[in-house]
Amino acid sequence: MDVDVDPRPDKPLLQLRGISKHFTGVRALNRVDLDVRAGELHVLFGENGAGKSTLINVVSGTFPPDEGTFHFDGEEISHLTPQRARAIGISPVFQEFSLVPSLTVEENLFLGREITSSGVLRARQMRKRAQALIDELGFDLDPSRRVDDLSRAHQQMAEIAKALLGKVRLLILDEPTASLTERETGRLFELIARLKSQNVGLIYVSHRMREIRALADRVTVLRDGRHIRTLDAATSTDGELVELMTGRKIDLLFPTIAHKPDKVMVDVENLTLADGSVRDVNLYARTGEITGIAGLVGCGKSELIRAIYGIEPATSGVIRIDGAPYEFPAPRRSLKRGIAYFPANRIAEGLALSRPIRENASMTVLDLPAFARFGVLRQAAERARIADIMAQLQLRPPNIERAAGALSGGNRQKVMLGRALTRELTVFLFDEPSVGIDVGAKLEVYEFMKRLVEAGAAVIVVSSELPEVLALSNRLYVMHHGRIAAELTGAEKTEQNVLSSFFRDHLTAEVA
Amino acid sequence: MSDLELSVMAGDTDRAKPLLGRWLWNAVLPAALVALLLGFAAFDHGVLSPANLLNIAQQTSYLALFAMAQTVVILTRGFDLALGPTVSMVSVGTALAMAGATATGHDTSLVLFAGLGAGFGLGIACGLFNGVVIALLGVNPFVATLGSYNIAIGIATTLSSGRPVQGVPKLFSQIFYGGSIFGVPAAIAITVAIGIALHLVLSRTVFGRSLYIIGTNPRAAAVAGLPVKRILVATYVLCSALAALGAIMMTARTGSGEPNLGGALSLQAIAGAVVGGTSLAGGRGGVGTAVLGALFITILSNGMNLTRIDGYVQMVVLGAIVIVGVLLDRLRMERSQ
Repeated sequence: MDVDVDPRPDKPLLQLRGISKHFTGVRALNRVDLDVRAGELHVLFGENGAGKSTLINVVSGTFPPDEGTFHFDGEEISHLTPQRARAIGISPVFQEFSLVPSLTVEENLFLGREITSSGVLRARQMRKRAQALIDELGFDLDPSRRVDDLSRAHQQMAEIAKALLGKVRLLILDEPTASLTERETGRLFELIARLKSQNVGLIYVSHRMREIRALADRVTVLRDGRHIRTLDAATSTDGELVELMTGRKIDLLFPTIAHKPDKVMVDVENLTLADGSVRDVNLYARTGEITGIAGLVGCGKSELIRAIYGIEPATSGVIRIDGAPYEFPAPRRSLKRGIAYFPANRIAEGLALSRPIRENASMTVLDLPAFARFGVLRQAAERARIADIMAQLQLRPPNIERAAGALSGGNRQKVMLGRALTRELTVFLFDEPSVGIDVGAKLEVYEFMKRLVEAGAAVIVVSSELPEVLALSNRLYVMHHGRIAAELTGAEKTEQNVLSSFFRDHLTAEVA
Repeated sequence: MSDLELSVMAGDTDRAKPLLGRWLWNAVLPAALVALLLGFAAFDHGVLSPANLLNIAQQTSYLALFAMAQTVVILTRGFDLALGPTVSMVSVGTALAMAGATATGHDTSLVLFAGLGAGFGLGIACGLFNGVVIALLGVNPFVATLGSYNIAIGIATTLSSGRPVQGVPKLFSQIFYGGSIFGVPAAIAITVAIGIALHLVLSRTVFGRSLYIIGTNPRAAAVAGLPVKRILVATYVLCSALAALGAIMMTARTGSGEPNLGGALSLQAIAGAVVGGTSLAGGRGGVGTAVLGALFITILSNGMNLTRIDGYVQMVVLGAIVIVGVLLDRLRMERSQ
């Protein structure tokens, strides 16, 4: 790797001002500013969907921004393409690998910039340079191996090597340690230190506090596509960062819920999922109380309740519903047993947007004789029942024949909640119940849960919004790296305790 | 927070406009149909003669049946490329079964029963095969039915040795081709009856409702506990059973089992469905769109025949129409977003 010395160290290497990016219907970035200095490691911090990926894609030329200015090394850049970005020294390492699986490591390194003489590949020269680069990086990687024969960690190394071949001014790393071992991570950190000393600027995306502490000079927090704040890493606390990331402390009144815990309705024993997102989890939920599950994005909390409902495959463990083992969970069988699941992503997993509200609300009850007999729909009964339910939930406007896609986020959630009232249910699994809905609708959702619990249902709430789970739940589990890190009740149920469980090193969590 | 709400509310009022747009979209095809008819009539007055109009109606009734079959699977984001060869296979199988039953000296009603049994049996088997491969094994519908396309051609050609199968009893042709109900030719009567029945199935049954929900959002359908795989298998069976019915009617018309009967039908049926406004993205369409589309394709080819447009040029036109139909659907989707 050859590295140019930045001629103007006083000016930022990369300067973005007011960058916005829309995708169909979604504002992924909303006037985001970002400065990266030469020789600085700048962490992008935020939850999934906060806009980090979009932002690094803008910087590396994959997505053209809709508005805003882009200066690199003092020069205004427009119409950036990935090729041009590489040519001026912006080199991204994405989480989704850009390697061609059927080619060797060295072929991948030189893909699109092969060394040739009059059209003939100079294989030996490329091999030498590839080997030299890998040696310099200190990676244990054979350049002649095919990429699809490599482990994920080795593929990650190849990806990093690819980014560092040629002139590099700004290196972008998107969760680079996700698949690296401790030793390899150590190597990467050494490499990062060397690059910094050579005045390379780095953008580093990570959720891992420890890495941020070890590496970051500055941290920019993004939320909902907005730039929240840029802080000096040395003077900010973990709690401050997390608070900025997950959202303001909502000064909104949570309803007072009279929890009357009774019998154990859901009992999960040593549950492990096929994808490893949940490992050896024990948990129970009782009727008459809200059981909360908190944790950072990717800790396995959603997967856990999805497994109970039957949409994530488990490899071992037992789930008991009302004392009886529930084997091979599947949505239809779960509903018959009285378990309902309310997905976090209502567009992808909840609603058929172009179909009427009525059909969306009755989707889960088409097997009941009240809604269909011998396979024939009882449309009049359906219309009356759903209209009644949606009136109870104060759907606005109260027209159940409109397409669900025409509704606001809050009203879409009400359509989902309507499903809870269409059949006899005892267990309610809520996955991020207030995501994407306005404050008023949030309150209504909380009130709805209150009514369910006080009527004797077992409610499990999974949420990344800490104030929400803290206020709603009677007992709160904290998940970390697929395991239960803590179970908090009563006075222990504080933000401080939850945060400290988040950041307990996963090694100690594994020992515990 | 507040501008999120605002933008959503703006979205709410915007919905009113496309409604008018949708009426316009719906009026485009009937208008095009009339324009097409009048256009061809300007070249050849025979186009509007009662005999030709009846001919068009009869022609349409076969294609409408196939377009309905195709629509049912397209509603679920599926596809049946093998529809044409299924028709060939059913035609050959029906004729062979009837010829065999006649040769072994069974009486006529049993011969007819054997023919229908073989025809529907083959059709249902074909649909079951497609459905299982697509829904249970997870093969892309396009590839799966491209495979069964070749399988069905192979079976049809092998069974018939590539020649028309004779021995279709007169009575069979009299019932399914020559017959009429209240003066309406059999083909038209059957298609109207099936169309009404299918419409009721799509709009009034759990199965029909499920098709639309699965086509609109298969993931949400699964999370809501709909038996998605079972419904998909049933959908392909229904599609092939409708194709088998069409094949039986066409066999009655030709009076023999034809291994090439379904030649261009896969594409024509897709063209009919898509031109009529069935969305390849799933969840949009129905009996009405299938019938309108079939009418359009039939009038177009009828007109091109009468104005002596070369058969190969007609293939070019048909292929182009499928592509234009899909593009229009895309445009419509983008506008509605």
